[in-house]
Formats: sequence, structure tokens, C-alpha cells
Amino acid sequence: MSSSQTPAETPISNLRESGLERIRTARTPEELEAVRVDILGRKGSLANASKDFGKIAPEERARLGKALNAAKQELESAFETRKAAFDATAINARLESEWLDLTLPAPGPRRGALHPVTIIQKEIEDLFVSMGFTVLDGPEVETEFYNFDALNIPPEHPARDMQDTFWLDGGNLLRTHTSPVQVRGMQKLGPPLRMIAPGRVFRNEEVDASHEHTFYQLEGMMIDRDVSVAHLIFFMQTLLSSIFNRDVTVRLRPGYFPFVEPGFELDIQCLICNGPGCPVCKQSGWVELLPCGLVNPRVLELSGIDPEEWNGFAFGLGLTRLAMMRYAIDDIRLLMGGDLRFLQQFVP
Amino acid sequence: MKFSYNWLRELVEGLDASPHALERLITMKTAECEGIEEYAPYLAHIAAARVLNVEPIEGSHNQVAHVHAGRYGERTVVCGAPNCRAGMVTAYVPAGITLGSLDIRKRTIDGVESDGMLASGQELGINRDHSGILELPEEGLALIPDYLIEVDNKSLTHRPDLWGHFGMAREVAAIAGGRLMDPADVSRVPSGDPAVEVRIADYTLCPRYSALVFENVTVQPSPLWLQYRLEAIGVNPINNIVDVTNWVMAELAQPMHAFDADKLDGPIVVRTARPGERILALNDESYDLTAANLLITDNSGPIAIAGVIGGGPSAISESTTRIVLESANFQAASVRNTSSELKLRTDASMRFEKSQDPINTIRGLARAVALLEQVWPGIRIVGGLADAWQPKPLPAPIRLPIHWLQKKLGLAIEIGEVTRILESLEFGVNESEPGVLSVEVPSWRATKDIAIKDDLVEEVGRMVGYGTITPRAPMVACTVPPSIPEHAFHHRVRQLMAGEGFTEVYNYSFLSDDLAAKFGLQGLIRVANPIAAGQDLMRSSLIPRVWRNVLDNSRNFASFRLFEIGREIHARAEDLPDEVPHLAAAIYAKSGDGQAALFELKRVAECLNAAITVESATARDYEHPARTGRLLLQGREVGRLFEFHPTMVETGRAAVLDIDLRVMFECRRSELRYRALDRFPGSPFDLSVVTDLRRPVGQLQTQLAQLGGPDLRGLEFLREYAGPPLPENNKSVSFRLMIGVPDRTLSSEELTAIRERIMDGMRAYGFDLRA
Repeated sequence: MSSSQTPAETPISNLRESGLERIRTARTPEELEAVRVDILGRKGSLANASKDFGKIAPEERARLGKALNAAKQELESAFETRKAAFDATAINARLESEWLDLTLPAPGPRRGALHPVTIIQKEIEDLFVSMGFTVLDGPEVETEFYNFDALNIPPEHPARDMQDTFWLDGGNLLRTHTSPVQVRGMQKLGPPLRMIAPGRVFRNEEVDASHEHTFYQLEGMMIDRDVSVAHLIFFMQTLLSSIFNRDVTVRLRPGYFPFVEPGFELDIQCLICNGPGCPVCKQSGWVELLPCGLVNPRVLELSGIDPEEWNGFAFGLGLTRLAMMRYAIDDIRLLMGGDLRFLQQFVP
Repeated sequence: MKFSYNWLRELVEGLDASPHALERLITMKTAECEGIEEYAPYLAHIAAARVLNVEPIEGSHNQVAHVHAGRYGERTVVCGAPNCRAGMVTAYVPAGITLGSLDIRKRTIDGVESDGMLASGQELGINRDHSGILELPEEGLALIPDYLIEVDNKSLTHRPDLWGHFGMAREVAAIAGGRLMDPADVSRVPSGDPAVEVRIADYTLCPRYSALVFENVTVQPSPLWLQYRLEAIGVNPINNIVDVTNWVMAELAQPMHAFDADKLDGPIVVRTARPGERILALNDESYDLTAANLLITDNSGPIAIAGVIGGGPSAISESTTRIVLESANFQAASVRNTSSELKLRTDASMRFEKSQDPINTIRGLARAVALLEQVWPGIRIVGGLADAWQPKPLPAPIRLPIHWLQKKLGLAIEIGEVTRILESLEFGVNESEPGVLSVEVPSWRATKDIAIKDDLVEEVGRMVGYGTITPRAPMVACTVPPSIPEHAFHHRVRQLMAGEGFTEVYNYSFLSDDLAAKFGLQGLIRVANPIAAGQDLMRSSLIPRVWRNVLDNSRNFASFRLFEIGREIHARAEDLPDEVPHLAAAIYAKSGDGQAALFELKRVAECLNAAITVESATARDYEHPARTGRLLLQGREVGRLFEFHPTMVETGRAAVLDIDLRVMFECRRSELRYRALDRFPGSPFDLSVVTDLRRPVGQLQTQLAQLGGPDLRGLEFLREYAGPPLPENNKSVSFRLMIGVPDRTLSSEELTAIRERIMDGMRAYGFDLRA
């Protein structure tokens, strides 16, 4: 006890000493909290000590008040420090106990895959929509008129041999190409017109590694004033560069399809050998990719469009074939086979 | 169609493009070539050989022949041919040469070393005679190797003229340079009174019928050069007369037919068949004919099916001495219909169905006259040309404005260049007014191929080369395309399904009768000409094929999720079938009780539309009778949720979701609007309802919702419980109800009243309640 202390100061000093000791020796956060309530609480010992202040002289009161405040601050600070230490211990213990092995596999199903044809189809749709084309659907069961006649292929036309047809009882047929949607599109929307029509088509062919009776095409058509071969090549080059994600070289050569005039086969320079020739392109340097052409005026007339005022181009893209090229799929049967060992490879 | 390079070279003087270069040019400018093959390359090494003497080998049918084989000198070979004899000239093949699959080597046969071989016509690819070794004339063998350019028939569909070498030679002269040599000299066709009378009943079906009569004919094998040429392009050499008709067809695209004149009875009449008529054709088949079939007839009846096949009895034979040579033109549609009806496609019908040029009948005869005199010098023409024909007026010239052509191609091509190109293809061209060409179409292109100015765009474009056109974006109005939201909706469904772990499959649209029956599908549309047994019905449900997917994949995976989006095809009385887009999804697991899969599919359905509800439904045969539900949306049935019947999936379980995407699309939330946040939160209270173990919770929810009315702002299922102290076969279902109104806080009296109303209502339904 210091010599400068008056007798009234002694209890404060004792309170302080014992308080600091209790704070220091508290073993649990709960014990510490009890100490705080005991000493620093509203009914704690420090509060009690100030109760009697009214009875002492003012100057003495001021001095004692000061001493009491100093003791209170010191005790509070000690309490906070001790509490922080307890908190740190507690959080560290929790962190330590919550160790988790994140290399464990996540529960729940894995992401599924879209069919490779769906993936390509969507990409092409997005590209053409960005260039102002609309996407149309047409029926898979078609009339002879839409599948053939309206496309300038009358019944006795030898071009009907080009597409082995599934006929249905009652006279309808399974569409052999997506081209009937051209006609439906022209009838529905009228000129000017930019449309694509992806979909399932059918040919009566034996199935083997490179032939399917069920496959997918994407039809495209633009009708406007003064549509030219130069425009057609532009769209085809844009399309193919986008699909293959690189500049591609294309060439047009004559091809016969009754619904276009002139008609072309569009070849793409072989993406495997880039031209000199390899097994994929049968040593020619080119791969046949899609038929296209300027719309035959007869087809426009059959759809009620005046060919003197409007003209256009059309193309038919083999989506199945394109998917096979893109993903190097060597057996077309996999695409309609429903085998998840194959299909799950297309998870993005 | 195979084109002989040697033949083309004979028809195009000065052609210097190599076979491969020519193949590429034809592909780029005329028609698609499928390949090129070297034909009989070994002919360069074959020598004519005189047989000096022949000795038998004891105990063998073979003989030893000593031959003098020109540049190879004297050789000894073992030969088994019956016609091998001293003094004959035949073909010697030295060792080291390969004939097709036959490697010729020095080897010992019957104890004699044979150095090379004596070959038959078949072995050399000259004809199909393998009865003995080749009999050569004194001057030997003058055949050279050839190249065959194979052109895709489909790409010749519109070009009747390209079904013969001369037509292709015209293209070749235009695209590769050289002078076209016309093998047909029409001055060789005599005029004067014909020795045969020809009548045509209908000039639409038979625009022209020309014929010549020959006598002093001897039917015998053709010279080897003629046989070799035909054999090379795949035509079987038969005898000199038939070979000449085939030659003309292969050269000028004009099919011909030779009748034995002595077997004809009266005039030749071209008419349609009468009821009950029948013909025995050259192929030894009999055909019943109908009025749709055009015939060549005489007094005795049909002697040929026009444009398709000749008759057997009137055919030429070894005893024939006089022939009638037919060179006619028939309507394409008629020939095509007859040929497909009789399922009889011939080289002739394939050409006629492309619309041949009536001018060509006379050219064919002229060429035949020259060839017949070459193959049998004693042959004589009797009388003049018989020619039934009503010439049609020439089509008017096509008006071709150059500016229009330039716009179509997107190429600034000059008028002089256009003129030069069209003239190289033998179009008649003159500039009828400034900037406009008047174009006369040659007869062989005018039958169907070229009629309008658009057809000329192709002629100019292909000859100038499409590679010369610079790609250009069109200058068109910038417009937003009309949107087709249903299509986009399907893509969103696909994305969602893949995100939820389902992998997309594509399945065939076909079902077998068995599969349809197994799934109780009826009234399916039948394919008239199915590709294979089991693919003859159009699917009216995706589920049968998805079931197959489940079984197939269960062999490789212990669990998986898959889905398909495809169309159900439903027959309609009139109109096309209704094609309804459906989503079918399946979850398979080899182990487990199957509950999780069903609820997972229900959750996915709710992801597609949160308003979907399920109510229990009567199961179909393939569905688990205690695990089948109907999906409802705005009161409409939108699909089904079920587990496959245990007999359908024997190992493991598969749950299936089948959704009608059309209904789903129509019930989508099309217009979303913001609703103000609740300012007066409701008061919750929990309620447990005790009921039968199998009463659907959904039913309780519906009842609570009805009782709560507008005051019930939320209804949450908490849990269900069965077991003590509840009676057996009972369960307790707990809900949390949120009571309140939007515009104020309810007083405790009001809350109690509402609560009592709901609880009284439930008690009235007969339930025990626990608050």
C-alpha cells in the first residue's frame, strides 16, 4: 500500500488488485463473464464502491472518483484482453475441429451432356439469328406436295430417285430433307425473308457406319431483292468459319437440285490436310459439305412469290455430318444409338 | 455413268488434258466425278503370239504350247484352253504382269515350266468370253490401256445429253479445249420409200419413231476393239448387231433396238397396251401390261415395251438375216412410270426418263449405219428411212439481260465473255438490243434442262468458275427476325435437363409392332415401305425407346440419368398427323428403393414449371401400379411421373418423367410482374393432421388451402410421422400455415377465428388434429 493513499482509497485499490487477479485466473469464458458481472456489472463491486461517495467532501469525492475510474478502465481493459484470448482459443479450436477433405467427390449427379447434334444446331441457330434469320420448325411427316412438288420435283421427275423415301400408309411421307420448310416459310412469312429450319429427316437407306435412315439437316433460305451467288458464298463462308472456329476455304461447283437454279455443291478445303490430300478427303483436298443454290423461280412461284421482284438463295446443311466432322466421329450409328458411354463425352 | 478417256479423246481432237486433270475439270464445271480408274493397264505389255506347235501332257487336260510372242520371242507356256492349236494367233501375257487379281508368274504346271500365259478375252477385260484363249486376226492386237472417269448419275439427272460420250465430249471441248468431232454423219441415212411402215398413236407419248431395215446380216461377235470399248464401260458385248446399238447409246445417248425383220408381222405401231396384253421380254421375264404402258407392236401384239426392253420372240438370233433398227424417242414420264411400275430399270429407260432429244433418232441411225458397215461389210440397207414425227416448233430464244446476269452472279462479267462461253456450248447468241443477249438453246439442251434465263446463269457461272466471285455481305434492312418462342423454349428445357445431370439421347421415330403392343399404343401410322422389320410404325410415345435406352445402358452403368426431346406422331383423320413435342426423362439406379429418383424427377418437373402438381393416377401396364402420377398444370394434364413396372426392369429401378412440351409451353409464365413486398407479415401456426397412412398429402394440402381461402398466405409441409403413439395404419402430417392479409396486421381475435375455422373444417372432414 502506497504512502500517498488515504484510508478511503484503500478499498478501491483492493478491489482493483483482486479484480485483476480474478480476471487473470478465470479458466473459462463463463467464469470470466461472472467476474465481469461481479466487478464491472451494474450491481458489481465497483458500482457499490461509488454508492457511498455522496457522504464525503466534494474535493475528496473528486479524487476518489478519479481513482475509481482509473481502476474501472484498467479492469475493463484486462477483461477485454482476456476475453479476446478466450475467443481466439475458441475459434481456433473450432477451425481445427472442422477439417474437411475437399478432395472427396462431390455428392449428387454429374452434369449431363447435350447431344452433339444439338450442340452444333444451337451454335448455328445463334449465328444465323445474329444475322437476322428466324428459326422455323416444320413437320416430320410431310405431304408429297411440300416434300417434292412444291420444290419443283413432280411425280415422274427422275430427281425423286435421288432421295429414297419412306412412304406412310395413306399417302404421306417422312420428309427426305428440311427443304419443305422453305416452302412453308415462304407461305407463312412472305418476302423479304431470312430463315433457317433445323430438323430430323429420313431416307430409306440401309444403316451402316456411314449411312443412317434418320439424320439431321439445317435448311437455310434468304429471299430479298437482288440476292446473288456472291451473297450465298459470303454466308456459307461465315457459317463454316464460325463452326470450325478458323478461316475456311470453300469452293462451289455445279450440282443439280431441282429447287435451285443454278445449283451448287459446296466443298470445304480439307481441315485435316489443308489441301494436299489425305484419306479423310479421299486425296482430293476437298470435302463435300452442302448443296446450295439460287432459289429456282418456279419454286418461288409455287409459293406465291413473284420471281421478277424477288429472288434468293437456299442451302441444306447436314447437321449430322457436320457433328461427325467436328468431333471426328467415325460411326454414324453412335448418334442415334442412345449409348451414354458415347453421349456423356459431350459434357461441356 | 462411266466415261472412257480414250473414247473422249477420239471425239475431241487435240485434247491434251490428262485423265486426272480432265476428271477435276469435269467435277468443277460440269458434273461430279466419283473417281477415276485405270482400265487394263497390262494391255501395254500384251503381245500377239502365234502358236508354233502344241504337245499334249499325259494325264492332264493341259497342253504345252510353243509360241512366238513378237517382242518376247519364243516362249513355252502350259495352256488348258480347248481352242489352243498350232497356227492360231492369240494373246501372250509375260510373267510379272498382273491381270486384275491374277499375278502371272513363271511356274511349273504338270511338270512343265510355263513362262507366262495365253489369255482369254475375259482375262484381258476385252469381253466376257472365257471358253478359250483369244482368237486374234493376223494383224494382232491393237488395244491400249484406258482410264474410266466415273460420273455420279445423280448429277446427270438434268442432262440428257451427258448420257453419251459425245455429249460429254462437247463439254470437254468447251472446258478443256480441243475440237469436237461429230461421229454421226446424217447424210448416211438414205431417203426414199421405207421398207417398214411405222405408225404412232400418240405423239405426246412417242414424239418420234425412226427406223431402217438392213439385209444380208450375219450375226456374229463384234471386232475386239468394239467389244473392248463396251466391256471397259461395263456393257456386256453380245454380238455385232446388239453391240452396235449399245455403242450408239453409249456414244450419242440414243437408245436403239434391233428386231429380226423376218419375225415381225405387219407395220410397227406405237400404242399403249390393251387390257390383258402380256409380253415375254428379252430377259425371259413375262410382264402383264396396262394402259399406262407404251408398247411397240405389230399385228401379233407387243414386240417391245417402249423405251424399256425389247421382246423375246422378235429378238435377233444367230439365224437372223434381216433386221429392223429402231431409233425412237419416248416421253420421259411415260418411260419412267412404266419402268418403276414393272421394277425394270434398263440403260435405255434411264436415258429416256431424262428427256432425250427427238433430233437424235436420225443421228443414232446414221452412226449405226457407219458402224454396221464396219463390223459386217456385206450388210445392205433396204429402202429409205421410216420416220414418224410431228416436229415441234423450236422454243423462242431466251432473253438474257447482261445486267441481270451480273446481279445474279454478283460478278461484273462482260458481254463478250458471256457470248464466248455460251457459244462454246453451242448456244446461238446475238445481242438483240444493247446489253441484252438473245440466246437460242440447242435442241439437246432444250428438252427440259434449259428453258428460262435462270438456267443460263448456271451455264455462265460454271464455265467462268464460281471461284472468281468475291463473297459479299448483302445490303439488306436491319430487322429483328420474327421470333419462334416455342423453339427457344425447347432449347431452354434441354439446357435445364443437362444442368440437372441428364444426358440427351436421340431415338428413332420408328417402333415395332411388338414394342407398340407392349406399351399399349394403338392407331399408329404405318410405314408402307419400312427399311427393316421392327421399324414399321411411327412412335406415338417416346417411352418405348427410352425404356430400351434404360435397359441398354443398365448393362454399363449402375446409375444414370437421360432424356430425349422428340415428337410423338399421332394420326389425325384429315390433315397431317399431330406432331407433339415431348420430353421424356429417366433416372435409373441398380440399387435403392426408387423413391429418390421419383422425387428427383418431380423436382425437375417443378424446375420446368413451379406450378406443376402431381396427383395419383391409374397405372398403365408398364407402370408401377403404386408409383404412378399424373402431372397437372393449370388444370391441364401435362404429363406422367412413374416408375417402370418391376417386370419391365428386372435389375434395378427406373423412374420416368414424360412431359407434353406443347402444354408446358402454353402454360408457361409469359408475363412476369413485380408484386410489392409484404408490409404486414402474417402469423404462422403449425398444425398436424392425423389420417390414413396412404392418404396423399397433396389432398390434405388442397383441403387446407380451400379452408384457408385468401387468408392463407403460405402453406408449408413440415414432416410426416407414423409409429407410436399413433394407431397402426395412421400417420401424422405437419404443416406450417401462414395467416394474414396484405394491408394490415390481424388482431389476435381475428387470427384465432381464422385458425378455428380451418381446424373445424378439417375436423369436419374427419381428421384428428394436433395443434
